[in-house]
Amino acid sequence: MTVLLDNLKDDDLTENISAGPSRGWYHWLIVIASSLFAVVSIGFVGSILAYSFPAWGHAATLITGRGWQSPTGPYGGLAMITGTLETSLLALTFAVLVGLGTSIAIVFLVPRRLRTIVATAVELLAAVPSIIYGLWGFLVLAPWMLKSFDPFLAKLPFSSAIFGPSSQQFGPSLLLASVVLGVMILPTFVAISREVISAVPNDLVEASYSLGATRWQVIKDVVLPAAKIGLLGATFLSLARATGETVAVALVAGGVADVQFHLLQPGTSIAAWIATQFGEAQGNEISALMALGVLLMLINFSLSLISRSLVNRQRKALARV
Amino acid sequence: MNPMDELTLTPSLTVTHDTIQLIAKSHRARRVLISRVVTALCLAALVISAVPLVLLLVQLVTRGASQLNTAFFTTLPQSPTIMSPNLTGGVSNAIIGTIALTVYASLMAIPVGVFAGVYLGESTSKFASVLRIVAQTMAGAPSILMGLFGFSFVVKFLHVGFSAIAGSFALAVLMLPVIAISTELSIRGVPNTLREAGLALGAKPHTISTKIVIPSALTGIVTGCMLAVARAVGETAPVLLTIGGGYINQWRPLNPVSALPLSIYINAKSEYPSERAQVWGIALVLVLFVFVVSLSARVWAARKQKRNS
Repeated sequence: MTVLLDNLKDDDLTENISAGPSRGWYHWLIVIASSLFAVVSIGFVGSILAYSFPAWGHAATLITGRGWQSPTGPYGGLAMITGTLETSLLALTFAVLVGLGTSIAIVFLVPRRLRTIVATAVELLAAVPSIIYGLWGFLVLAPWMLKSFDPFLAKLPFSSAIFGPSSQQFGPSLLLASVVLGVMILPTFVAISREVISAVPNDLVEASYSLGATRWQVIKDVVLPAAKIGLLGATFLSLARATGETVAVALVAGGVADVQFHLLQPGTSIAAWIATQFGEAQGNEISALMALGVLLMLINFSLSLISRSLVNRQRKALARV
Repeated sequence: MNPMDELTLTPSLTVTHDTIQLIAKSHRARRVLISRVVTALCLAALVISAVPLVLLLVQLVTRGASQLNTAFFTTLPQSPTIMSPNLTGGVSNAIIGTIALTVYASLMAIPVGVFAGVYLGESTSKFASVLRIVAQTMAGAPSILMGLFGFSFVVKFLHVGFSAIAGSFALAVLMLPVIAISTELSIRGVPNTLREAGLALGAKPHTISTKIVIPSALTGIVTGCMLAVARAVGETAPVLLTIGGGYINQWRPLNPVSALPLSIYINAKSEYPSERAQVWGIALVLVLFVFVVSLSARVWAARKQKRNS
């Protein structure tokens, strides 16, 4: 049997050649390449797990502890975990609300001729390296927020309860990190959700228009229900990207390991903390950072498995229509 | 009275044609109004998402373009001092470092990724379906984890130390699943009739793969590789933990190197305005490179596809 013609497995054609001596060098080449890929993937997980091992003796501190005392320990990861959750969920809310409207506008409102250009632009923006978003947030957005946005926020009711006192000397804060993350995952979300929305069969859309439905009724009652699962998949994928983002958050979150719910105060995230602390870390601190990496891996892998299965389910559902 | 003008709903309640029309009209007015409002909201969302992204690109170009000159590309960086705060030098070390890292990473990732992708595309074995899920999960893994892998495996376990090879290993791990997945999709896109035609001519399976399937899928495979390169060039987190940095022009695999994203990350936090200004130049070069590579990949693929169909 050769793996090369598996696609034709059910076909009578392949039966005769299957028995032949087809395990040539080429067969082995692709088998070895894919085994190498499998080995690298196992090594990826195994190597990080192995170096994180010493830190799991203090697993409780690592997950629920406050404060990161380097270089002696204890190393508490609660601030990084809450920071990751706060920034990525806020960013996700912004990206989904604005992104959904944007995708609908691109599919239903932008003239057909411009649509490919807009779609390409969105995909290019999704390819912009995250360090660029971080740089923009750090050098442009941070001073602007200090000067113009924070005084505006201070006038809102319950401002001090939600946002806390603004850190006057530095721009970086959890809110800034959420905004930068939101702007950054927006193209990712729009790229996928636009595709999902435009994959809804045109027959359905035209049929409902012909029944006299308005544009909003078509979107609300036909397009969104048909695209629901795929949009959920796009949401989880964006969330996975937001939780794993490193350097942009490292630049704009402030890099302070405090459990902080006031959004104008500095904080950090798991990935950003690994990046900022790794340079000076030694011994036990390295394994504690590796253990944070394992946590991040668990979060990311479960999010991406959920989103993959959702997107696949959507594809199957649409194939049936 | 015309019987058509009067509808009897219940014996006690009669509704005239006019009333129905009135209700329908007011209902329609409401539907249309809601639809218009939502349409306006969607357009507003489009504008809201465009504004920050356009601002970012405009600022990148206006602030970055003034930094670019020959010295920027050809000289080594110099640290500004209090005496000469405008002294920054160029970023030749980071440019050479980024080129070296990208070339080594591509040499490692492209052969393995492409042939693993061929396997994923052609095989229906259990191993292939597991590997497919692994590839999809790895493709979405945070890049800082690739940095941790490069550090723990190459820097520590193999005792190579901070080096170009450690950084390019981390970047190769990042590129590998991206290349494998795009290759798989292109291989799957080749119609089975072509494979059957090859069989009918008496070709061996490996001849069918190398002479028929891969050439037909080549555009997609090359596009996937280019997009993977474009992604690897801009990644900061993996190189942050592995390459060590440095202020000399050097490309040797076993020595530390610098890289463009790393220079951005470090110089953005500089206390000298001159260094913070120079960062925009580096950022512009990086974004231009990423845009040129991914745009040309897309345009080339689209053109090929048009010619084939």
